[in-house]
Amino acid sequence: MLRVSALAFRYDLNIAAIGDPSLPIGIPGGNALLALVDAAMASSRDDVADTQTAIIDTLGPESLVDAASVFGNFEMMNRVAEGTGISIPAHAIERAKDTIDELGIDSFHKS
Amino acid sequence: MCIVHHVFEFKGSPVPIRADLKGAYARLWSHFAEPGPTLTGTQRVEIAAYVRMARSGGTPQPTDLHSSLLTLAATLFVDPSRVDRSMVRQAADAAGDPMVVEVISIVSMLSAVDGAHTALGADLEPLPSPLAGEPTSEIAKGLRQRRTHVPMPVGAIPVALDLLPRIGQVFQNCFGPQYMTGPEMAFADFNRTPGLNRAQIEIVSSRTSLLNKCFY
Repeated sequence: MLRVSALAFRYDLNIAAIGDPSLPIGIPGGNALLALVDAAMASSRDDVADTQTAIIDTLGPESLVDAASVFGNFEMMNRVAEGTGISIPAHAIERAKDTIDELGIDSFHKS
Repeated sequence: MCIVHHVFEFKGSPVPIRADLKGAYARLWSHFAEPGPTLTGTQRVEIAAYVRMARSGGTPQPTDLHSSLLTLAATLFVDPSRVDRSMVRQAADAAGDPMVVEVISIVSMLSAVDGAHTALGADLEPLPSPLAGEPTSEIAKGLRQRRTHVPMPVGAIPVALDLLPRIGQVFQNCFGPQYMTGPEMAFADFNRTPGLNRAQIEIVSSRTSLLNKCFY
């Protein structure tokens, strides 16, 4: 999905940055968004504050609200997926094979 | 039943919050407080308090719910990748599939609200006061496990909670304010103006799922 949307905006996406946020991701404000997720996941108020400033300065205050709400949405979706055990369609896994290999997440859909 | 919508303040957020997001979370809080299909409002709010306490490292207050259900709830909230079929089925054997799905829904939707607050640097919202009343027993008939941990219809993740139809609808109503509406998801070049475009949105969703060790 990210590859498709990045293509739609003609970004030079570096998908490896999803797994290693120290790499440039090639999307405006993208590394600040990665840092916000990491800070929120670690519940680090200081780090969240630092990344918020970067997002507000580069993408605007509305984008911070969007980023926080998307983070919340996927905190929810991941738990619904794990709790219900909904399976991943084989065609979806096949379609995402390059990304799965690149990010080393092959084990995520096998539990 | 008198439903009073909670007003979310997002105290500590450096930016104003969209009205649709505030409204969605206010409706979720009302939903948590109401009796569900298998649990009373008091039990539903107790579960939310229990998992928050588990995450904070405190000692959760005991409830009258089965211990396997509480173990599932706390694990799903704190470390979702540790939840497996065995843990879910143990809870379902003790409490039944509908109660397990109701607990999964409470934990998952609370994670959304608390997650957004955390990313905004805002204080967590106090839980709502439970409303009186008995469980509604609104449970879909004829569903079965489809290589899943709990019964559900054929379909993708939006229908995963549809064993409890009203809860499934509440879950799906969260998508638009938090992420994208169904029609918006059809466009790879969706751009919320002002706000994030779809590629930027998917950076956040991808990294979140990766850190949760979840393929979705």
